[in-house]
Amino acid sequence: MSLEVLQSGAALDTGGYPAFFRFREIGERVVVTSIEGEWIVLTREEFRGFLRGEVDRDGALHQRLVERNLVRESFDARRAAEAYRRRKRFVHYGPNLHLMVVTLRCNETCVYCHASRANLDALHTDMTIETAERAVDLILRTTSPHVTIEFQGGEPLVNFPVVQHIVEYATQRNRGLGKQLEFTMVSNLSLMDETKLAWLLAHRVQLCTSIDGPKSLHDKQRKLPTLSSYDAAEPWIARINAAYREAGLDPTLYHVEALLTTTKETLERWREVVDTYVALGCRALFLRPVDPFGFAEKTRKIVEYPREDYLAYYRRAVDYIIELNHQGVEILERYAAIFLTKILTGDDPNFLDIRSPGGAGIGQLAYNYDGTIYSSDEGRMLGAMGDPTFAIGDVRTSRYRDIVSHPTVRAMAIASNLEGQPDCVDCPYVPYCGTQPEHNHKTLGTMMGRMRESSMCAVHKGIQDFLFEKLATADAATLEILHRWTTIRAREHFVQPVAEGG
Amino acid sequence: MSESLLGMPPARVLADLGEGCVILTVDASMYPQHAVYAAAYCFIARCYVWLDRAEPEAFRVVLTAKQPTDAEGLRALAGEFSNELLASAWRREITRLNRGLIESVTMQAFGGAMGPPSLDDLEAFDFSDEPFDDPLGIAQSWEDKYRKPKPGAETGAETGAAVAAETDPQGGAAT
Amino acid sequence: MTLRFHRALYAGTAIDAALGRFAQLANTGFDRREEVDHFVVEVTASSEARAKKIAHELANFALGLTIEQGGPDR
Repeated sequence: MSLEVLQSGAALDTGGYPAFFRFREIGERVVVTSIEGEWIVLTREEFRGFLRGEVDRDGALHQRLVERNLVRESFDARRAAEAYRRRKRFVHYGPNLHLMVVTLRCNETCVYCHASRANLDALHTDMTIETAERAVDLILRTTSPHVTIEFQGGEPLVNFPVVQHIVEYATQRNRGLGKQLEFTMVSNLSLMDETKLAWLLAHRVQLCTSIDGPKSLHDKQRKLPTLSSYDAAEPWIARINAAYREAGLDPTLYHVEALLTTTKETLERWREVVDTYVALGCRALFLRPVDPFGFAEKTRKIVEYPREDYLAYYRRAVDYIIELNHQGVEILERYAAIFLTKILTGDDPNFLDIRSPGGAGIGQLAYNYDGTIYSSDEGRMLGAMGDPTFAIGDVRTSRYRDIVSHPTVRAMAIASNLEGQPDCVDCPYVPYCGTQPEHNHKTLGTMMGRMRESSMCAVHKGIQDFLFEKLATADAATLEILHRWTTIRAREHFVQPVAEGG
Repeated sequence: MSESLLGMPPARVLADLGEGCVILTVDASMYPQHAVYAAAYCFIARCYVWLDRAEPEAFRVVLTAKQPTDAEGLRALAGEFSNELLASAWRREITRLNRGLIESVTMQAFGGAMGPPSLDDLEAFDFSDEPFDDPLGIAQSWEDKYRKPKPGAETGAETGAAVAAETDPQGGAAT
Repeated sequence: MTLRFHRALYAGTAIDAALGRFAQLANTGFDRREEVDHFVVEVTASSEARAKKIAHELANFALGLTIEQGGPDR
């Protein structure tokens, strides 16, 4: 019997051998997963035997299937439930990521213009101290014991006094609460100076920047009047990394993180992108595709591309990253690390856009400069484009419990639960995957989305196909590298001290 | 005047180019009314949606473009609506089948995110709201609230997995 | 312009709410009556094109409200 016959839904006598499973063909192999995320990659012949129950009960394949909890007669429901519970443990806590748009003003102009920027004279787009304090008061009401406040913009250094006030106010307010509080700033670094840096380092604010690849590409996509935006950022990356080393911090753990946005022009320059990140001392590269938020239709034609082109780029780049790892260079790809952590460890790193239910509203919140609260930064960007669907409150009037249980948030949680999603319920990657209601709403006109038409689904499926191919065929040294990418080491230096003077 | 659209069965889909609308006949035995509603709701921002019940076993759905459009535009509208209709019907069935798992995860997610109500929350609580919300479980009987859980029935997730184990494997694999 | 809302698909309360919202439109008239299977609304306006546009918007509004309340009145 061919897989095509099986897919047609024809009656099949399995002899009651398999437990619940989902499958997907990747080349000549078949990925099989259980409801709780156990997995195995079989040859077509092995898969046919599994389906028909024609597996030698004394053989190695049967033993492997039993170990993966995929055999009905030995199915361990308690073990499956524990594994499922472990994967979903993020549902026990509220939002841990809080994005604060302290200003829309920005001195750079980016072709994809994600963050709905404003010119430097648009002072009315600065967050006020009063709005910032009300936002922090709400943030610290979260039920999550971990809180990360991420400063975004615009360019947050433009409104640095409010950033400073938020750090000091939140740290002081947290003294009686004892949450694990961290601050992150996403900055283009062009407005950094030694005084600001000294303050940020002293206050343990983690620094991230955007690097779109080699200088020529970065400068083309991110324009600074009269200057090279790459030249404005690069020395500060080196300076900050040196400061971490001078403070005695492990450079493999403490260094400037950089974010990439993949545009059409990036696709052919995958090798240069990776080399640039390595040269800058980055240990992680997140090959993010451009998202559909925040830019005009005419710009879409310049920056967008078919997702199969993206996946070819992804494969080339990650193969090259693996090759570099073999040569002793330590750098990982972030998408791969997220999915591999879920696949190989049974844990969930709680990446808010790739989990089920999704993190919008219940795992993250975004606070706009004017005090409007959105389900996420993507929801905030849609708001800036004139679509208020994902506005769920206001820092001056909303109560915490009303925000996280807002009807829009409830709808988003249901919409992003993959167990209720056509296509996903038959996809073997459902234990590791996630969908984003804002993306579905923007690209498909419904929060639920239709996965066969979803570019996000195509990316997630394509990456997991690639990873399972690797897991099935890679040599031992490559597998060791992939396992290493799943190691999560806490950056404890960035956690704010709770006790006075601590 | 009604005419057929390329690739669309004329018995099910007709277009009226003069009116800028497309008319779909939807088999009610295949697509429940809630699926028609779900698909229609997604489209009311994009076009004018009109529902009717032309015959007992069929819905009539008229989608009228808000801006002037050609046959290709109407064909895209009909095609996308049909896709959404299919997804809505199937989603409803899946939600019914996986209800235990979805409910347990969703309820835990909101319980986890909201936490227990504070005194301020209780002060602002509208006790006249219907249906009666019972954040502290006051309306629950002592026996229901504190009775010992049955062995093996601690969490929704466990129940879900156990139920799944009893599911016909073809159900998960063969679609 | 005549709108015929099937009782099995539209809620009478939703149609009334939509009519209430649209009642303030200038130079526009609405006449509501009931038949066995339908709620019928006659829309009159200064021109046929305007009546048609208002009728379309009214119908969308009534459908949205009907769906939001879970279907027709019981």
